[in-house]
Amino acid sequence: MKPFLLSTLFSAAVISLGVAFSPVTLAKDTLNIYTYDAFASDWGPGPKIKANFEKECACEVNFVALDSSVGILSRAQLEGKSSQADVLLGLDLNLMEAAKQTGLLANHAVDTSAVTIAGGWSDKTFVPFDQGHFAFIYNSETLQSPPTSLKEVVDNQNLRVIYQDPRTSTPGLGLLLWVKSVYGDNAADAWGRLASHTVTVTKSWSDGYGLFLKGEADVVLSYTTSPAYHIVAEGDNKYKAAAASEGLYPQIEVAAMMKGAPHPALAKQFMQFILQPGFQSTVATGNWMLPVVKLDEKLPAAFDSALKPVKSLVLPAKDVAQHRKAWIDEWLNATTR
Amino acid sequence: MVKCHDSIIDVKLFFFRTVKGLLPALLGVGFFLLMGAASLAALLRYSELHSWLGYMQQPYLWRVVRFSLWQALLSSGISLLIAIPVASCLIHRQFYGRSALLQLFSVSMVVPTIVAILGLVVVYGRTGWLNQLFGVQIPLYGLVGILLAHVFFNMPLAVRLLLQGYDLIPSGQWRQASQLGFSRWAAFRWIEWHYMKKVLPGAFVLIFMLCFSSFAVVLSLGGGPKYSTLEVAIYQALRFDFDLNKASFLALLQVSICTLFAVIVYRIAPINRQDVSLLAVKSYLLKDSFWAKSADYLALLCAFVLVIPPFLAIFDPIFSPVFFKTLQSVALWNAVLVSLQIAIPAALVSLLLGVCFGVLARFCMARQYFAFLPNKIEHLGNMILMVPGLVIATGLFLTLRDFGWGLQSSYWIVVWVNAVMALPFVLRALMPVMYQQERRFRNVYLSLGIQSWSRWCLEWPLIRPSVAQALGYALLLSLGDMGVIALFGSQGLVSLPLYLFQLIGSYRLEEGACVAVVLISLCLILFYCSSRFIGGVTARVKN
Repeated sequence: MKPFLLSTLFSAAVISLGVAFSPVTLAKDTLNIYTYDAFASDWGPGPKIKANFEKECACEVNFVALDSSVGILSRAQLEGKSSQADVLLGLDLNLMEAAKQTGLLANHAVDTSAVTIAGGWSDKTFVPFDQGHFAFIYNSETLQSPPTSLKEVVDNQNLRVIYQDPRTSTPGLGLLLWVKSVYGDNAADAWGRLASHTVTVTKSWSDGYGLFLKGEADVVLSYTTSPAYHIVAEGDNKYKAAAASEGLYPQIEVAAMMKGAPHPALAKQFMQFILQPGFQSTVATGNWMLPVVKLDEKLPAAFDSALKPVKSLVLPAKDVAQHRKAWIDEWLNATTR
Repeated sequence: MVKCHDSIIDVKLFFFRTVKGLLPALLGVGFFLLMGAASLAALLRYSELHSWLGYMQQPYLWRVVRFSLWQALLSSGISLLIAIPVASCLIHRQFYGRSALLQLFSVSMVVPTIVAILGLVVVYGRTGWLNQLFGVQIPLYGLVGILLAHVFFNMPLAVRLLLQGYDLIPSGQWRQASQLGFSRWAAFRWIEWHYMKKVLPGAFVLIFMLCFSSFAVVLSLGGGPKYSTLEVAIYQALRFDFDLNKASFLALLQVSICTLFAVIVYRIAPINRQDVSLLAVKSYLLKDSFWAKSADYLALLCAFVLVIPPFLAIFDPIFSPVFFKTLQSVALWNAVLVSLQIAIPAALVSLLLGVCFGVLARFCMARQYFAFLPNKIEHLGNMILMVPGLVIATGLFLTLRDFGWGLQSSYWIVVWVNAVMALPFVLRALMPVMYQQERRFRNVYLSLGIQSWSRWCLEWPLIRPSVAQALGYALLLSLGDMGVIALFGSQGLVSLPLYLFQLIGSYRLEEGACVAVVLISLCLILFYCSSRFIGGVTARVKN
């Protein structure tokens, strides 16, 4: 009936598509690294790492920025064996087991003896690249008597708490495991008590942290290194991490290379590079996490004052992978009662 | 014998010519169906039906479904209840800032959720304006917060959808109303309501679906996992568990529930018969009264209180020094460019698809045997809203992978999925006027043999405001998209919303807020340009 208009519209669409889209031509020796968005952003450690590594390898580093660390894994899973990825950078401790089970990852040959993580590092697939601990952050100007233990956060009914959903965010999952490792079989009761003074449980870290900065809660679940950002970047000393006498749950970010990596030699070289100063010196002020090896140059003073855990609580990765669903259900039942 | 033979040839010839004429439209709709079916099939390939029974028996799932239904019904109901008097008021009253208000109404739904949530918190939160100015503290976290956010997003959309209904009112009816000395209430009762009834079911279903699948708002303002939606479970299944089986079950469940809802609404609603009317509406003065005035003030006040303060909170960062620093960053303008590169083609594709749907639907409308089809065709286009974008994108990704197309095509996928996601809005804007044109001029066109291009040329002046609105919505939705591009992200494909999330994902909330201002301003500009240059002068009523 109206083929003309349709074809005109269609060709207009096609032309504008053609104009708008100029394909990215990839040079032959390009190392594809899948990572999360903040890592690859201009202010993240990505650009510096790219520059440092390119000096050594005579190659080009291409960061593919995905929306979250979970996003990295699901993208690799979606692409399966046909993936163009050489290295996955930015998975964390609790995703390791699931990532291994995909069968997409290769073993590394990196000597991890220099790693300073409590308890050492012996994993054959993953190389850690930065570390920190989950902690509740508070505003020291408005909260006069901050909690000193996880039990206090759970039990103090006057404390307004924001944390993240363990179904959709990694810090949320971290808290789930933290509570589990402190309370064990009594975790459900603890969740119930926490629920009565929880302001809200957000989808992602940024939602929760944003609400906290707007003054909606006394404490928010974040990282021990969060105050360092406010000190270094904003010159603001009021945000502090609350201590926990039971110990803190660690957040360790890891990298692995793909079995089907298009550039296996480059990928191997990069895996070695991760523990070198060229990489490690960028994570503190780039990613606001602590390096995993001892560096010659000192970190900014803000990191020295960062909360150090009395004990690093960590559940075995196998247990986490096996019971994660059950624990999430336990949390769900306890908080929706 | 011979005569009979002739008529068969006639029928064949007629059939052939009709099909040939409809071919582009059929192709468009067919392509849409093919892509939809392909992504569905890709997901279903990974599903094990026998495990679905197990999912069905989870009590939490049904609690979530019940709550989703409840909050979506409340949200869409309240949005429409407020929107009806507001729309009526905006039609009858001219006041300073009216067109600016309408512009603002057009962009509310693309405000990134996190920005809207923080905006609401600034207004209604613990240290918010409401508390500081009046000492009033509302329990924001829970159903109240969810409803406030959903009304903020959707009431303006509802107003704009209802105003489309007003466009269908023939100016003769207004003239008569004016001559007979109708009061506002009488005019509403005898004229406006009659036309509103035509757009209400569609608007209701659209907003219901938007609220039913709302995600970050429900989680962040819900105050805990007690309030959740199916979309949360789908996200969890797809991203955290990579459980394609469960994800496709949940997606199908969501589609079934929404379809059921839509079927019920359309069953109850009166049959949509478009009337013959003139589009160039001239406004006639109606008898004003104290009651009419107070009702209008009340409606406007309601709209102002619910929509304006959060917007003011969102635009607040322009006074901070960070704003100018943010404006100077190259990354921001790169992101603007990428956003435009995605939004403009996506909007054009969406409009093209919308026209295909419209042409097919109105072809069927006038033909006895197909007369039942138009609603179905329209609903087909709407269905896409029920399927989470993440699911469509994942399905497409898997399909393309099986064809051996990898990352290189990610740009096209982003454009395509965005175009498809905007289709329901394009259809809402386009369909009423296309039906109306068909009813009004079909016989004239048929008897004079005016077809295809010539027909479009004749129709263009009358349908261009609607085309502009459709294009505007498609542009805005693609600009605001976050989910699709996040899944297919790659270097160099950082759109404005993605850039915003990068910023707030690494503590830079203030800069993020500034980027949000840029995003909303860009939306406003594009929407204005679309209605100004494509809509032409006849867009007066809408803007």
